[in-house]
Amino acid sequence: MPKTLRAKVITVGDSAVGKSAITQVFHSDGAHFPKSYSMTVGVELCVKSVNIPDTNDCVELYIYDSAGKELYSDYVHKFWEHPSVVMVVFDVTNETSFKSCQKWLERVKNKTNQELPGVLVGNKIDLVGRRVISPKIAREFAMKNSLEYCECSAKEMENVEAAFYFVANAFYRLYEEKVEVMNTLV
Amino acid sequence: MFDVALTDAGAKVVLATASDEKHPPEHMIDGSEETFWSSTGLFPQEFVISFSGLMNINAVNLKTYQIHKMSIERSVQAEPIDFEILEEKEFTVTDMALQVEDFTFDEATAATHLRFVVKSGYDHFISVHQVSVDGTAARQ
Repeated sequence: MPKTLRAKVITVGDSAVGKSAITQVFHSDGAHFPKSYSMTVGVELCVKSVNIPDTNDCVELYIYDSAGKELYSDYVHKFWEHPSVVMVVFDVTNETSFKSCQKWLERVKNKTNQELPGVLVGNKIDLVGRRVISPKIAREFAMKNSLEYCECSAKEMENVEAAFYFVANAFYRLYEEKVEVMNTLV
Repeated sequence: MFDVALTDAGAKVVLATASDEKHPPEHMIDGSEETFWSSTGLFPQEFVISFSGLMNINAVNLKTYQIHKMSIERSVQAEPIDFEILEEKEFTVTDMALQVEDFTFDEATAATHLRFVVKSGYDHFISVHQVSVDGTAARQ
């Protein structure tokens, strides 16, 4: 019987960067891109299973797609207990949303004393002419904060899965490491 | 006194919320500290141990790793239903060593099933290496 791990993914970032679009495109295997904007109120939960390459195992991602509007921040924080991994999203055409990433990351980190694998996601790369955040700058920020960096376009359904596959695999590796330790305790 | 939670004593783990085939729940009651049951992500986690019959329990001893808060509940029914809480406890964190925690009861407490709820951990994953229950079969 293969094993199933379960990870709580906290998705954060400024409002309208595309957190819900990314989540929904991933969740529907590319079948659904929300064409018109609908602001997330509080937190929406999506569950999706990711297979781990070269094993029969999988990681069930419990994706907590959180409202980016400050108005909801107190309410939203209540859902962030025991985060497993974090996904910080910004819009590559919006400098403010990139500058906010540090703040969002700290907020989720404050919810745990444990190692928190994470990924930084630059969305809306289809808007080529309007890009203001280069991959180089984003990658530097990601490295400094021990995050992986991925770019995607939820609208074009391009590379959306990468970030989710990364966190699933990172969580899986974490489990393998911890079990190694448990094996050496006695 | 006798460890009534051993597989050899007729006890069974009838529910566990995580199962990695390499570290199945049966490992908690096989009498060995080396083998263990590990959780596989998220809290709370729980498991239920059913005894061969109604027992009078004096103490529960746990050897675990990275558990933060745990509660123990009991049921005296034939089926594992109608649980009532016995005690809740915060475990002491350890570094690269097993946590050894005891729940002792002033008077012998009757139970056919014990439910252990791990409310939180000091890490993403916890392990339970041994559950010993000091008790005797109750006269029914």
